[in-house]
Amino acid sequence: MSGFFQQVVLGLGSGAIYASLALALVLIYRFTDIVNFAQGELAMFSTYIAWQLTAAGVPFWLALPITLAVSFLGGVLIERLVIRPFEGGPELTVVIVTVGLFVFVNALAGLIWSFLVKSVPSPFPDGALDVGGVNISLQTLGTLGVVAAVMGLLFLLFQKTKIGLAMRAVANDPASARLVGIRVGRVLALGWGLSATVGAISGILVAPVLFLDPNLMGGVLVYAFAAATLGGFDSPVGAVVGGLIVGVAETLSGAYVDAIGSDLKIGVPLAIIVVVLLVRPRGLFGHAVVERV
Amino acid sequence: MKSTSETAERETATEAVPAATARVLPPWARWVLLALAAAAVLYAPFYFAPFRVFQLTLVLVYAVVLLGLNLLVGYSGQISLGHGAFFAVGAYGTAILMRDGDIPYLLTLPIAAAVTFVLGLAFGVPALRLRGLYLALVTLSMAIFLPPLLKRFPELTGGSQGLSVEQPASPAWTGLAEDQWLYYVSLAVAVVAFVLVRNLLRSRAGRALLAVRENEAAAEVMGVRPSFYKTLAFAWSAMLAGVGGAVSTWVIGYVAPDSFTVVLSINLLAGLVIGGLASLSGAVYGAFFVMFVSSVAQDISGAAPGIASGLLIIAVMLIAPTGVAGLVRRLTAAARRRLAKE
Amino acid sequence: MSAEKATGAALKVEGLTAGYGAGSQVLHGLDLTVASGEICAVLGPNGAGKTTLLRALSGVVRGRGTAELDGTSLLGRAPEEVARRGVAHVPEGRGTFTALSVEDNLRVGAYIRRDTAGVTAALDRVYGYFPVLAERRRQTAGSLSGGEQQMLAIGRALMLAPRLLLLDEPSLGLSPIITRELFRIVKAINKEERTTVVVVEQNAHLALETASRAHVLEAGRFVLSGGSAQIRADGQVAQAYLGYGI
Repeated sequence: MSGFFQQVVLGLGSGAIYASLALALVLIYRFTDIVNFAQGELAMFSTYIAWQLTAAGVPFWLALPITLAVSFLGGVLIERLVIRPFEGGPELTVVIVTVGLFVFVNALAGLIWSFLVKSVPSPFPDGALDVGGVNISLQTLGTLGVVAAVMGLLFLLFQKTKIGLAMRAVANDPASARLVGIRVGRVLALGWGLSATVGAISGILVAPVLFLDPNLMGGVLVYAFAAATLGGFDSPVGAVVGGLIVGVAETLSGAYVDAIGSDLKIGVPLAIIVVVLLVRPRGLFGHAVVERV
Repeated sequence: MKSTSETAERETATEAVPAATARVLPPWARWVLLALAAAAVLYAPFYFAPFRVFQLTLVLVYAVVLLGLNLLVGYSGQISLGHGAFFAVGAYGTAILMRDGDIPYLLTLPIAAAVTFVLGLAFGVPALRLRGLYLALVTLSMAIFLPPLLKRFPELTGGSQGLSVEQPASPAWTGLAEDQWLYYVSLAVAVVAFVLVRNLLRSRAGRALLAVRENEAAAEVMGVRPSFYKTLAFAWSAMLAGVGGAVSTWVIGYVAPDSFTVVLSINLLAGLVIGGLASLSGAVYGAFFVMFVSSVAQDISGAAPGIASGLLIIAVMLIAPTGVAGLVRRLTAAARRRLAKE
Repeated sequence: MSAEKATGAALKVEGLTAGYGAGSQVLHGLDLTVASGEICAVLGPNGAGKTTLLRALSGVVRGRGTAELDGTSLLGRAPEEVARRGVAHVPEGRGTFTALSVEDNLRVGAYIRRDTAGVTAALDRVYGYFPVLAERRRQTAGSLSGGEQQMLAIGRALMLAPRLLLLDEPSLGLSPIITRELFRIVKAINKEERTTVVVVEQNAHLALETASRAHVLEAGRFVLSGGSAQIRADGQVAQAYLGYGI
């Protein structure tokens, strides 16, 4: 039985990473109805920035805030320069544009840092806690802690600050938000910046586990899609819960279902996406999907 | 934004049903031009070196796939980020039939077409329930999942090694080299596909598709059943991808899971967008792009193709949502006006 | 804008045209003057352009000509910029933030204000005008009844401390009793806050009772303007234009 719980703990650890990228996806979706297919690549790019800084001798805890700030600015700039002209346009166009962004950012990272794999030190100490025979590594605990902290900060931002209130208003009804004097364009840019920042955190968390290369986040993005779909694309809480469920489902099925093994593990999030979309398209916590006609 | 895209769509919609634009050239001159173009296409395999002929053959293959993808994305307004998967099914199906079955290779084409048509139909039904964005997710999932799945059944698919098949030989009576023969076979398939799709778009079904894309609710009021036509578009589209896959196996003589990753699907979509959504000629321009990006990626395995295609996708959507086809259309229209003035 | 209460401003519109894209012009050159602190009613049948007039004033649709609020030009600005110049538009269909609580709706209404004390005071005043909103302050706006949502929409507009309040069909979908109550409150607001109000209404009777001046809009042109009493007295004429008696 402790073997089972061990798998659950492992799953929560990776689930927290999926949750953080899913959170980034949801942040943008809530504001703009856009699913950013380049979300993972932006996170990967941010991770490279952190790596570059630490490789140049900047201590990690200084490199982190710099990276987050740069990521925020990057998100704002991308919204302003690339996404803004397409907002409110056909969904097809926006999806294609973010796919273009995906391809571009991926290649750009390859151009700057090459496609060779780099190893990234973990920000968390080695070691583990033993809880009733279940081994919980500090890495897992740290990851969960960071995601909980991000979640908490976002909650405070949205519920307790004026700009958070404005962001919720824009997410709910941009036209009415304009009528109360909210500069919607700025709020959307802010949303992209926040999303890029949260995504950067997920990249920095996952890089020590998977090693860093330009394709770092491709797989993680699929899990994050599954997490966001399961939780509901417009629900931050759903993204986190969905991420944890997807992580646990992944490790459990990998460990206990022989047919899946390690090579078909990617089928787990894909199956979750397909099943959720067919059975309950709005996910666990999402609001009803309104068909655009 | 909305309004510019709408005008773009209107522009392309008129192309689907050629309008009687002011023609400056007399009819005979048009025929001469057409004959010259046809002659160039037919003469190409004698003019170019075998490797270039091989590349041109691949362009024809991709053109067939993009015709299909265009039917889905351009004409019915659904998104697929996973068309490489249908292409792969056609390619693998053909390879497996050519290896195991003792059947003439030409027969693998209708089989691949039938299989992918049914697959597309099976996929199109649940796709109806998904908003565009979710359809993108599901098709992307399909494209991601296929390569590991192919590797999982090595007895059938040859695993990660893939399968080699004996390429179709050129019949003795033609006196053609193998690459030339394959070029003409691919050309024949592409021409048939073009004619079929063009007729399809001019038929009742084609007009219904356009109506559904423009306004589903309105189409429904007019008595068009959107679900029926959207599913059908998915099936046709998958079938053309499967046909392209089958021909690609003849041409390349080899299939491997890594040729059918999600990158292929994304390249196909990029090719379509750059070539021109909802335009028949766009499929050809896009096919050149797909061939170019794929071969450059193999040559230098660097970042250049990604940067180029990423930037191109965004730039095209921003500046010229009708793609190369739209640009060509505008240029020829401008040239015509100039000729008319003189 | 003072910290406590803002006062109304005079609206001067000349030659206002507006429409939705080429070939669908809705307003054909409107002239309209509303004195500071006045309630002005715009009446007219469906499709006359009443909603478009308000939309043009608040920047939701693009208007041409001139529209000045105490000398500040309103046209050619985005809605958020017009709002920042003291114009609160309560759109048809209300436009409340359905997923937000009643209190959050009101607070976001004061988004552009920097004076915390003034906002708190304004909140109290809105709850004073609409006690039912105070009772439901924690509920989401989407769970309110139609009348309550309309009250919330007006309350939210007040939070902006507007110099000009634009009301689009406040009676839409509401029972006569609630509508009457709503107009009574609008009048009270106008009196106490000195806010200039332009109200667009189908319910001509109530609107004329509330407003001091009225204009009848038909097919994008004003066909009748004057004091409310005069318009009411001219019932015959109005009937010809409105298709119903006043």
